[in-house]
Amino acid sequence: MSARGSTVMHWCVGAAVILVALGVAGRSVAQAPAAPKSSCPLETAQFHPCALPKIKSFKPPRMPDGVPSFQGYWRTQHNGAATDVEPGPGSFAIPATKGIIIDTPDKKIPYRPEALARRNELREHGSLDPQAHCAPSGPPRKNFTNFGWKIVQTPGYVIFLYESMHDYRVIPTDGRKHLPPAIKLWHGDPVGHWEANTLVVDYANGNGRNWIDMSGNFQSEHTHVVERYTLIDPDTIHFEARIEDPTLYTRPWTIAIPFTRNTDEGYYQLEYACHEGERDLQHLAPGEAGEG
Amino acid sequence: MTIETRRSFVVTALTAIVLAVIGGSVGAQQPGREYQAPRAPGGKPSLEGIWQVRNTANDDLQDHAGSLGIAAGLGVIVDPADGSIPYRPEALAKREQNRARRETDDPVAKCYIAGVPRTMYLPHPLQIFQTPEEVVILSEFVHTTRWVPVVPLARIDGYESWIGDSRGRWEGDTLVIETVGFNDSTWFDHSGDYHSDRLKVTERLRRISDDTLSYEAVIDDSQVFTRPWTIRMPLYLHKDRDRLLENECHLYAEDAHESIVGTHPEVKP
Repeated sequence: MSARGSTVMHWCVGAAVILVALGVAGRSVAQAPAAPKSSCPLETAQFHPCALPKIKSFKPPRMPDGVPSFQGYWRTQHNGAATDVEPGPGSFAIPATKGIIIDTPDKKIPYRPEALARRNELREHGSLDPQAHCAPSGPPRKNFTNFGWKIVQTPGYVIFLYESMHDYRVIPTDGRKHLPPAIKLWHGDPVGHWEANTLVVDYANGNGRNWIDMSGNFQSEHTHVVERYTLIDPDTIHFEARIEDPTLYTRPWTIAIPFTRNTDEGYYQLEYACHEGERDLQHLAPGEAGEG
Repeated sequence: MTIETRRSFVVTALTAIVLAVIGGSVGAQQPGREYQAPRAPGGKPSLEGIWQVRNTANDDLQDHAGSLGIAAGLGVIVDPADGSIPYRPEALAKREQNRARRETDDPVAKCYIAGVPRTMYLPHPLQIFQTPEEVVILSEFVHTTRWVPVVPLARIDGYESWIGDSRGRWEGDTLVIETVGFNDSTWFDHSGDYHSDRLKVTERLRRISDDTLSYEAVIDDSQVFTRPWTIRMPLYLHKDRDRLLENECHLYAEDAHESIVGTHPEVKP
């Protein structure tokens, strides 16, 4: 099995361990999601062009202070990006991926040659994947999680609460500046603002060790991400992220995926304790791929 | 009654009235009675802000001298009145064992979620957000998330977790949080005070000044304790911080052992 395969297997085993640990049929993760309601097809190639006019035309529900309301539970439709943001062939237990990059001709990351070589090395070493070590993922990867997430809004803040690894992201929208550059964080430092009905999140201060997916696509501490979240109908968010890093990529590149609203009655997020229950990493060591 | 005794009586009575008036007005000015907290959307008192304790409760909830990894400090137990934890006699041995092995066995030393109530008095800041439907408590320590609905929501039977399954309600200006659904793996402090998976915690949070939250927790676990007991302490507002940073404790531990997570030695620039 390839490194990609073993990483996916890690998550399958991890999820099973969590369900057993909970001792319940964890409804937030085990229940088959209801078919999402969306006014656009969910595959990136069809979704993005369909969503573009709706970004401008849809009138979103609003918070008391007038900003668009994203509040509620959401499911990512990552279209395979959790495994690979680039188009990739399927293999055992891994569906083929069609890619979610919208502005490069081959849907591939425009790596500089030396960065591409490093990516190809990294993807053979799934044990180095920070997510396999229960590290928080910065953007855009956190939005590829197969687990649900919740958006809470208070005046001046948009707060993302992820079921996966109980991660959170607090996005201030009060115009504050980024942290001083010496502070490098696994989470990075997101600061937001509103452009019409779009929440724009500017990400910096990353520690440069996050990967973008399970295939070794990676960032550096110079990576700058601009995320854009826009409702295109009551139950669909268009998510777009522009990733810029002259040390790794020849040009900025952009991804787009949908999130669909989770309206399951009585749903709430359960605990996904990662580091506390982790006992699978040994199976990801180089040379042992696939034995887990 | 003689004039002297009448005078004495009048003086005594006047003194009593004056003392009662002074006492009453002093009482009325106590923080928490007259203080009006700023309001959050929906009209409830705002508990929002970045808060942190300024005590040694994380080291030991009881009065304690200093020792390895433990700073001397006053206890925070207000019930029982003697400030001790009412362990069942047979449960005390495990606490002593935990305490002896605290440097390696404390779940917080292993960078695990600290649980409830300990997350609230870790030496790390936490940030509170609230909407009319929920209160969100985020700790900087291992990005712990507490989500507390204050609207009705059915619990899941048999659920076990590190942080528990919380439900909140407002009693006047006090947020009351009842939490069950715990595992038996967290400790209350670095001194090995522990609980079973039958733990129920009832917390009361009230903003008693712009800069202070009163925090109280009733610990109820008949498997380990002879009766419920209560801790109480203030949490103070951080005025010099506008955001949480992070404390990814276990990753720092990996780095201390020359971790190469996210990198690769052969291709590292």
